[in-house]
Amino acid sequence: MKLIEVNKLTNPVSMYVRAMQSSSKRPGVIEALPEVTYVRPRVVLQEAELAAYSRVCGFSRAHGVPITYPQMLVFPLAMIFFGSKYFPWPAVGTVHLGNNVKQYQRLNVGDELRMELSTGPLMSHEKGQVFTLDMRALRNDQLVWEGRQFLLRMGVRLPKGEPYATALGETTVLSHQADFFAAGGIGRRYGRISGDINPIHLSSITAKMFGFRKAIAHGMWTKARALATLMPREALEQAEAIVEFKTPLFLPARASLWTDRREDGALFEVRNAKGDKPHLRGLVTF
Amino acid sequence: MNNTIRRVAIIGGNRIPFARSNTVYSHVSNQEMLTATFQGLVDRFNLHGERLGDVAAGAVMKHSKDFNLVRETVLSTTLSPETPAYDLQQACGTGLEAVMLVANKIALGHIECGIGGGVDTTSDAPIGVNEKMRKILLEANRAKTTGQRLSIISQLRPSMLVKPSIPKNGEPRTGFSMGEHAELMAREWGIAREDQDQLTLKSHQNLAKAYNDGFFADLMTPFKGVTKDNNLRADLTIEKLRSLKPCFDKKVAPGQGTLTAGNSTPLTDGASAVLLGSEEWAKSRNLPVLAYITFSEVAAVDFFNKKEGLLMAPAYAVPRMLKRAGISLQDFDFYEIHEAFAAQVLCTLKAWEDPAYCKERLGLDQPLGSIDMSKLNINGSSLGAGHPFGATGGRLVATLAKMLSQKGSGRGLISICAAGGQGVVAILER
Repeated sequence: MKLIEVNKLTNPVSMYVRAMQSSSKRPGVIEALPEVTYVRPRVVLQEAELAAYSRVCGFSRAHGVPITYPQMLVFPLAMIFFGSKYFPWPAVGTVHLGNNVKQYQRLNVGDELRMELSTGPLMSHEKGQVFTLDMRALRNDQLVWEGRQFLLRMGVRLPKGEPYATALGETTVLSHQADFFAAGGIGRRYGRISGDINPIHLSSITAKMFGFRKAIAHGMWTKARALATLMPREALEQAEAIVEFKTPLFLPARASLWTDRREDGALFEVRNAKGDKPHLRGLVTF
Repeated sequence: MNNTIRRVAIIGGNRIPFARSNTVYSHVSNQEMLTATFQGLVDRFNLHGERLGDVAAGAVMKHSKDFNLVRETVLSTTLSPETPAYDLQQACGTGLEAVMLVANKIALGHIECGIGGGVDTTSDAPIGVNEKMRKILLEANRAKTTGQRLSIISQLRPSMLVKPSIPKNGEPRTGFSMGEHAELMAREWGIAREDQDQLTLKSHQNLAKAYNDGFFADLMTPFKGVTKDNNLRADLTIEKLRSLKPCFDKKVAPGQGTLTAGNSTPLTDGASAVLLGSEEWAKSRNLPVLAYITFSEVAAVDFFNKKEGLLMAPAYAVPRMLKRAGISLQDFDFYEIHEAFAAQVLCTLKAWEDPAYCKERLGLDQPLGSIDMSKLNINGSSLGAGHPFGATGGRLVATLAKMLSQKGSGRGLISICAAGGQGVVAILER
């Protein structure tokens, strides 16, 4: 296991350019990702950054530190990983399939966290190779938050690992709960605060260069926006939120939120305005 | 003095089809709707020129000119003009309360027969002049000289014309609308959206089936070319109900609501009436009796200080009435629980099953328990038919009475929640 400590972050653009340069990689058969962990040893939860995040994603102050927020602090580590020799494929063309996060204790502004990102197991998928990245937040050496990202390398033949399967089932007993608007500029706004400046999210022109007809919303924004509506308006002690991304949400768009909300959580889907096409399916428990 | 209490017979009922607000009855007044309803009843039971003991009815939404609505209505029918009548108002309990008042007079032998009913329009709503403007106009009326009058009139402002006083479907003491209160109740009782939608679907399906079976043939007079409640969606699907967005959650539970336009009753126009009489009177006119009114109860809750759910009063009224009747909640063949909101019905049923609530709030040793849902609103109810506030009670009494007469014998419960934290309930038997 290789441990890489990151104490100083370069700006998102240069990180992004570095990750882009990895597109010349032409790997052979990959049996497993190298075991590597990136660490930001001391990250303080900053009020201003949190407020900016909450504003863009629709959380209120009463929500406290949203369950999706710690991933923002891990994101730079993922970018460094994509630009490094440890990541065998080009960074461009990676598809976000799913994202699970779990919070064990309440997080507060001012908390000093140790953020970690590790490579996880490979999984096989009909469209290519799924790889996983595991995320952790520790406070005073105690695990307070963790998560896993499922990412797909399209077109990898004979993918390795256990088959990737949906954890959420296919039942469709969901009711229309709310609508929200994904503004044309939401990709730029979320990109600015998250550092995820992938051109497919920023504008339709840049998205077209990568083969998309319009800019698409960040999956993590869509997840956060749905949770902002579904989560109780209070800072929670424990929570878990699992989502699977189904189809891109092209910007700008009116999206509808469907759910079977219960007292302790909800199965939910973000769908198009008409409600017949899912963009994202998830399960939140609290 | 004859002080025995007589059985009160329900001889028949009549209503016009209910119509969603601002649809087919947009240009019809309360009086026209109630007249058509009374006249239909008079025609069916051949009461032309008859002097009835009393006629009681009411409307929640009334114009100031409607101060004697029911008497004026009686005068417009072929009943004897010597039939007395009066107005009353108890929000959505109006219709049932009117029936009970007439029934009580019959029971005591004060009268032999009468009509109870109700009507409401939210299309022909009484919009008042701006409150400031009204005060200025009244002041001007009190002025003694033209000079004074002109000086008072000069206080009028054009803005007063564009800000009229509009009636609101809300509670004056909380500022919340009826739907917002029902949403709060659904949250308190953890009533799932899906359960509300399923109850709604059942209401529409049951009502559609009742129409197909011709159930309403002798309970209804077509009006303005309408022969069926126009809120009824016979082809409604659960998917359609699921697709509706909550509409009362903005203020009370943003983004987390469960009440939609589907599982809440819409604003509705309509009227209903019930013909009541003593057994002797019915026999003397050769009129068959559908059922008898045996018990009633009213209750009110403190929704402001004690924070009881606004529409929970029937939960209190029913056990009190059951105790007097000496029967249990399960001793009924039919339950007619007015569906103001699907959530209101489900909250009430859940409350009766809840041991803590029954003990602490209702003061019962045992919870009332659950009911057989296959006996609930089997010919549809307000979610399907719509809910003209004052007319719902008459609809329920007539519907239940006919169900009992079809069955031949049995007992049915009526429960209606009303604004102001009130509930009116009754038992019909045959």
